[in-house]
Amino acid sequence: MKGSATKTWWAQIRAVVRLEMRKTFFAKRGLWIYLVAALPVLLFVAYALANSRFQHRTEEIARQGEKRLTYQDLLAVKPDMTREELVGILGKPPEVFHWTEHRNENRKENRSREERPERNEEGEPAAAVFHEDYHYADGLNDLYVGLADGKVVSINIREGSNAGQDSIMFAGVFQFFFLRLAIFFGCLGIFMNLFRGEILDRSLHFYFLAPIRRDVLMVGKFLAGLLATCTIFVTSELLQTVAFLWHFPPSVREVYLYHNHGLEHAAIYLGVTVLACVGYGAFFLVAGMMFRNPILPAAAILIWEWINPFLPGILKQFSVIFYLKSLCPVDIPIAPGTPPVLALLISNSDPVSAPVAVLGILIVAMIALYASSVQVRRMEINYTTE
Amino acid sequence: MSDRIVFEDVSKFYGEILGVNRVNLSIPPGITSLVGPNGSGKTTLMNLMTGLVRPTRGRVDILGCPTGDPERLFTMLGYSTQFDAFPKGLTGFQFIYSYLRLSGRDSQSAEQLAWRVIERVNLVEAAKRNIAGYSKGMRQRIRLAQALAHDPKVLVLDEPLNGLDPLARSEMIALFRATAAQGCYVIISSHILHEVDVISDQVILLSNGYVVAEGQIATVRGEIQEHPTQILIRCTRPRALAAKMLEEEIAIDISIHKDERGLLLKTRDADRFYLALNDLALNENGTGIDIESIAPADDDVLSVYEYLIGNEEAVR
Repeated sequence: MKGSATKTWWAQIRAVVRLEMRKTFFAKRGLWIYLVAALPVLLFVAYALANSRFQHRTEEIARQGEKRLTYQDLLAVKPDMTREELVGILGKPPEVFHWTEHRNENRKENRSREERPERNEEGEPAAAVFHEDYHYADGLNDLYVGLADGKVVSINIREGSNAGQDSIMFAGVFQFFFLRLAIFFGCLGIFMNLFRGEILDRSLHFYFLAPIRRDVLMVGKFLAGLLATCTIFVTSELLQTVAFLWHFPPSVREVYLYHNHGLEHAAIYLGVTVLACVGYGAFFLVAGMMFRNPILPAAAILIWEWINPFLPGILKQFSVIFYLKSLCPVDIPIAPGTPPVLALLISNSDPVSAPVAVLGILIVAMIALYASSVQVRRMEINYTTE
Repeated sequence: MSDRIVFEDVSKFYGEILGVNRVNLSIPPGITSLVGPNGSGKTTLMNLMTGLVRPTRGRVDILGCPTGDPERLFTMLGYSTQFDAFPKGLTGFQFIYSYLRLSGRDSQSAEQLAWRVIERVNLVEAAKRNIAGYSKGMRQRIRLAQALAHDPKVLVLDEPLNGLDPLARSEMIALFRATAAQGCYVIISSHILHEVDVISDQVILLSNGYVVAEGQIATVRGEIQEHPTQILIRCTRPRALAAKMLEEEIAIDISIHKDERGLLLKTRDADRFYLALNDLALNENGTGIDIESIAPADDDVLSVYEYLIGNEEAVR
């Protein structure tokens, strides 16, 4: 008997999911969610395109060079080397910029007579410095060497494929845009509409007139919302990863993915995305049932999530971001001089272990879903008061 | 298990606004009509019956099933609401099919049942069209189809004849009768009183959230003492009959039909009138009055409605 009831509930849940998916994926009012999900993908595509252009230029410079250089050759350049020594190591530069600087020396009158330069035609003290910028490349990295009057004064190496540095950038975009804004607002748009949208459309009675338990209906709607948000945001996350890795040369990509935990990080990001949809989805489902105006609860939850680092330990646990931050695989380094408030936002001062974090999100989601099931049983169809 | 739809001291308030108050009903099988002006509480009563709203006080019980258990309730109850909104993007067929799938039916049985009920409400040709493009009458019929789709024992229909053309109306009335004849409970709210009169086995009259009368129309009419019963008699020598009735103080008012073949009589004691008429029939030879037919003239919903509620909304 119980087995038969469970079978019926699953059949009903599948029916609800089918109906809701059609609405969620093709609703005109939900188009902005696709845009929000696509934004980080576009950002990484643009970044990859720009990097590819640089890479192409680097390879061209390397080809034009007199010698085939290695990264060690680039590192061999030291300050105060002469032009001849430099050319001796790296060969004639494939790209050279030069200019002459005329310095006004009026303000240096306190220097000793021996140090004073000759005067110019107007009788003012003047000096001419001949500058040269040499551009070398080993095919992956660029070396910019600045010379003044034939001596090396500046060395700048631009590493073309720094996966480590880029992974921090990826983590920043993930934590501060994708998690806290894109998924947050995407879940708001989808989950809040599951009940609230139908109350506004005056079509919720369709479900309430069917022989289906209200909490089974709620579970069906939640799963439909979860499926929709996961499809949209997991796809976005996958595309972001592809765009992020795309511009790396195959060798760098392989090292990053298989030897520097890149693949593991990608899998964790996908998992965190799913958990974020679960957590925020449950929050917004109950908010959509309890509040007529979604702006107020959305603003309250948004503020609650952002002030989480400043909350006492016990309150921190009642938020989604607290657990999600602990699960993110890459810590964002805090640059020296960062304001303390911003530093607190970036840092994860009380991280919890991964199992605790996953369990924490699931418990928070279960509490929200329980509240939803109580609320849905109390709901009445009274469109005129909405 | 109860075999009635029972309201026990039910009240419903929307904040400060009264929906219905202190309703006690026990509805038997057959066609029961809810009659009352706008805002009298008909839809509230139906929504209470179907669990779409919960009573502020009291208890509603549908054939032994509480209205807070939709899983049980809607296997035996179908409700055609007045809400004119549908889930977006569905065709008529998909609407019914999805409803049946929500009930937990498998794809094949849902499809069969959907086509069967669509055929029953005569909407086969439009079934594959989006509901958004349906006329008012078609939307009414697809709502009826939803209510009928799973062969419910209790059918609750809020203004089911609205928007239907005369042919469709008579088809639907026949459908309701056939459903009631199978021992089902058909609860209808309607403003169209002559149709209610034709189809109802019993009526529930509502005014300002209160049930003012319930039962079979004739019984309800009989209980209204302040309005004399009107009886139309077709006979020969109507003036002689009128004189006799006035002489015996049975009638309080009589008007003779202009064709001199009948009269309209008002009496406060219908039983005495019928006894007197029986005597008259037995002694027919002595009076020369030949009675062709006798029919109550105000034993209908319209009259009852006018007497109990007033006539401002009666003739619709």
